[in-house]
Amino acid sequence: MITLDDYAPIVGEEVVGQLRRLAEHLQGRRFVHINSTAVGGGVAEILSWAVPLLNQLGLETRWEVIMGDPAFFEVTKAFHNGLQGFKVHLTPAMLEHYRQVNRENARRFSWEADVVLVHDPQPACLIEMLRPQAPHWVWRCHVDVSRPHLAVWRFLREIVKQYDASIFSMSQFAQNLPHPQYLIRPSIDPLSEKNRDLTEEEIKAVLHRLGIEKDKPLVLQISRFDSFKDPVGVIQAFRLVRRHTPCKLVLAGGEATDDPEGPEILAQVQEAAQGEPDIQVLLLPPDAHHEVNALQRAADIIVQKSTREGFGLTVTEAMWKGKPVIGGAVGGIVLQLRDYHTGFLVNSPEGCAFRIRYLLHRPEMARRMGQMAREFVRSHFLITRHIRDYLTLMILLENPGSRLIEL
Amino acid sequence: MAKILEQVAENPFWFHECFLMAMPLGKKVVNLRELLEGLRDIDESVLYYHLIQSRLALDQPAVEYPNDFALWAANALQDSKLAEKLSSFDPFEYQNLGLVRQAVVDILEEYLWDLPFVPWARPGFEFHFCQASTVVMHSLISAQTLKEFCAALSKVGLDSIYYHFFEARWRLGELKSDDFSYWIETNFGLPELVTAIRDIDIYFYSLKELRETLQGLIHQHLGELCDHPG
Repeated sequence: MITLDDYAPIVGEEVVGQLRRLAEHLQGRRFVHINSTAVGGGVAEILSWAVPLLNQLGLETRWEVIMGDPAFFEVTKAFHNGLQGFKVHLTPAMLEHYRQVNRENARRFSWEADVVLVHDPQPACLIEMLRPQAPHWVWRCHVDVSRPHLAVWRFLREIVKQYDASIFSMSQFAQNLPHPQYLIRPSIDPLSEKNRDLTEEEIKAVLHRLGIEKDKPLVLQISRFDSFKDPVGVIQAFRLVRRHTPCKLVLAGGEATDDPEGPEILAQVQEAAQGEPDIQVLLLPPDAHHEVNALQRAADIIVQKSTREGFGLTVTEAMWKGKPVIGGAVGGIVLQLRDYHTGFLVNSPEGCAFRIRYLLHRPEMARRMGQMAREFVRSHFLITRHIRDYLTLMILLENPGSRLIEL
Repeated sequence: MAKILEQVAENPFWFHECFLMAMPLGKKVVNLRELLEGLRDIDESVLYYHLIQSRLALDQPAVEYPNDFALWAANALQDSKLAEKLSSFDPFEYQNLGLVRQAVVDILEEYLWDLPFVPWARPGFEFHFCQASTVVMHSLISAQTLKEFCAALSKVGLDSIYYHFFEARWRLGELKSDDFSYWIETNFGLPELVTAIRDIDIYFYSLKELRETLQGLIHQHLGELCDHPG
């Protein structure tokens, strides 16, 4: 089992010590996280690392996953798309089904807690049934809500207003709400199977197993097959690069149980890639963390050409592996990549193609950018910083109205 | 010189740790006129965040502008002239945040007065107002001698450097002072070192550079016994 001390060689003894001392002020607090999927997607990953560490720090932390039928996840996917700005149509029957599934889940939850952190819209409505079970309810929004579709936000706002606070990944996502809003950046775990160091043999074994021959520079995008991740745009960019420079493209994505649109987008990507032997499209199971790790380490350039992005943890993972990253200039990607320093931001397939060519021709620059990116992640986007933010948040919740708390 | 390094202070220096939790207001402005109006109305805590605290929230490598307003002028309005004006402004030249606010308002008002148009932010690059709550905690690191102090400086996190250098100026009510020089002055005298520390142009350094500058100054004034990373 990974312990807190295992992070000291990566982030420094003092950072681990800080967490322990902060947690001393919160011993025995009951902290419940609720989301809608146990595997797949950034939220489930964060929770799978954060919950054991919070327990080690002396907080009684549990993780609950709500269950739903396909119709429920159709509704919540519509919420997700609507929050990210797509026009979606929600019928009263859909909204009632959403409430109904939340009511059924609420019956299973008999715990009492000090703080409940509800992730994303899927379980948000639980507060209407479970409010008395905890004094502090916090809604954690992981998606890019900088320009939500009004009808969707209007419905969700009435639910979110009931919370005591909400958390967003960027200040651009904050809303007009009657309670305090906090900024917590997501994070990656450097010791997880997805991010731990791998040997050359381990990397080669994965490439061999996936049928990837590394005979040309490798460009990679790792993401779910979701239209907001613009995998078709990546293929367009790749075709532009290939006119000038030989290289390979791998598009690899997992599946999340709460995303019903995946198969449709995957079919579109496969069609766009047809007839091009240097493009490989890989559908990975949601727990293929080792494979993702090896692919990222094998890549020469990593792309995340999203058109909307809550934060973009795949960008963080790539940066941590010291790779030059080209990302869409949206959401949290803007926060992570700074042109010529920690990566490149692009706005179109043409821009993406241009930056891929730029980096393929300048390997020294690519190496330097990768190193700077890794140090930036070490300071800001590792799980130890995330845990510290959770602890700080709990202290703030217990001291409402105070802007400066001296422990 | 070795003697002063070993001399025991009357009061040990306790390093503090400082955790900042940024709190976006959910309010944004899309052009320079709206920013000006916003600055007249916002809480001083918001002004303080964008001028001072944001450097602890996210310490980007190689950012050329020392505050969020200058950065926004450069990146979102793509107006480098305004970015230059806002960068040259130093909040530590003013006695309180009310005067700081007036100074920023004056810069923007004068700039807008001479412009035939109002500069707008590119879509997606609006300015979002933020403030912060802070949790401060004693670290386990203290120093009784200057030698211990030097050793501790390289051990503490950048949040400590921020707390004792930036927060201290408002807390002590003396904008030219900070916890480090105050401790050295009241325990050891050393007027030249104290003046040198107070003369550091802190607003233009990243926290990492600030730590190195401080170590360099102590090294320069107190000699080889105090380790200097450079």
